[in-house]
Amino acid sequence: MTLTLPSSRIETDRLILRLPEARDIDAYVAFLTDAQRANGFGAEPDRPRAWRWFALNIGHWALHGYGYFTMELKETGTACGMTGIWNPEGWPEPELGWVVFDGFEGRGIAHEGAACARAWAYDALGFTTLTSNIVPGNTRSVRLAERLGARFERSYVNVQMGEDMLYRHPGPEALNT
Amino acid sequence: MIAATCHIPTIDTPDLILRGYRESDFEALATFGGSQRACFVGGPHDRWACWRAFLAGMGHWSLRGFGMWMVEHRASGQVAGRVGMILNDGWHEPELGWHIYQEFEGRSLAYQAAQAARDYAARHQGLDRVISYIDAENIRSLRLAHRLGAQFECNADLLGQPCQIFRHPAVGADA
Repeated sequence: MTLTLPSSRIETDRLILRLPEARDIDAYVAFLTDAQRANGFGAEPDRPRAWRWFALNIGHWALHGYGYFTMELKETGTACGMTGIWNPEGWPEPELGWVVFDGFEGRGIAHEGAACARAWAYDALGFTTLTSNIVPGNTRSVRLAERLGARFERSYVNVQMGEDMLYRHPGPEALNT
Repeated sequence: MIAATCHIPTIDTPDLILRGYRESDFEALATFGGSQRACFVGGPHDRWACWRAFLAGMGHWSLRGFGMWMVEHRASGQVAGRVGMILNDGWHEPELGWHIYQEFEGRSLAYQAAQAARDYAARHQGLDRVISYIDAENIRSLRLAHRLGAQFECNADLLGQPCQIFRHPAVGADA
């Protein structure tokens, strides 16, 4: 068989959203092993486990045809975060996720990337609705979800994150009007 | 444009098909991962951890160009385990690993699968005289390593867990 990875690559004003490549590993590991920064995402205790998360994201792309994109800054070519659609075993429904790596916050990168990934999921993948799961206390993400037009729907217990809040995004029709 | 594919070869043995991953393989993998049988591979794992292992197994092929195959039992069409080469971050060198699921034990299928995977890796993936990590208490795996001609090399530590390293003979050397 052939593991097929979609060749998705999207550009925004300042970003390139592309599939993760081996050269991104160090940036992912730095983020995932930063307990504080990755707290709302799912931190990993060490490099080997962060590497396996990197590998599983690629597997996610192969299995579902979507996953987390690497967000790359056009100007410098630097990996500055991730955004994409995530749908692990046990998840309530596919979600739109985003994170910005250390040093790239406060520039609206997450908003730019996540809005682009959401539009791609609606247009290219045919999703009709999307959620975002946010752990209580992650006020930055709540603010961004609300800025993207998402609304709190319910609290629930997530298999990985424990107590979690589910936000629902406006659907494709609502965004196009 | 990046070459966005990774070929997972199919290998036929008398009783088995070593092949790539299908979504429908997950239940068998999770049943194994959640059982006491997984105690020598860092388990038992919950479903969530099994899902991670399943997808990481696919991603491994893309990152390394080799990995673990799903082992399908030809006669029944059921998934009988996983076998193949592992080089996760933190590994000393590429490892030949084998997991055989409960219903398929005691039929020499692990031997058949491991031999086929080892042979393929040596001939096509540049991986010869590979190692296997084995827990000192994993009697069945120790026996299989011996049957495969692997020799104890040293005690080691894998991700903080003590284990033994066995070294396989060069493929073709026993022919």
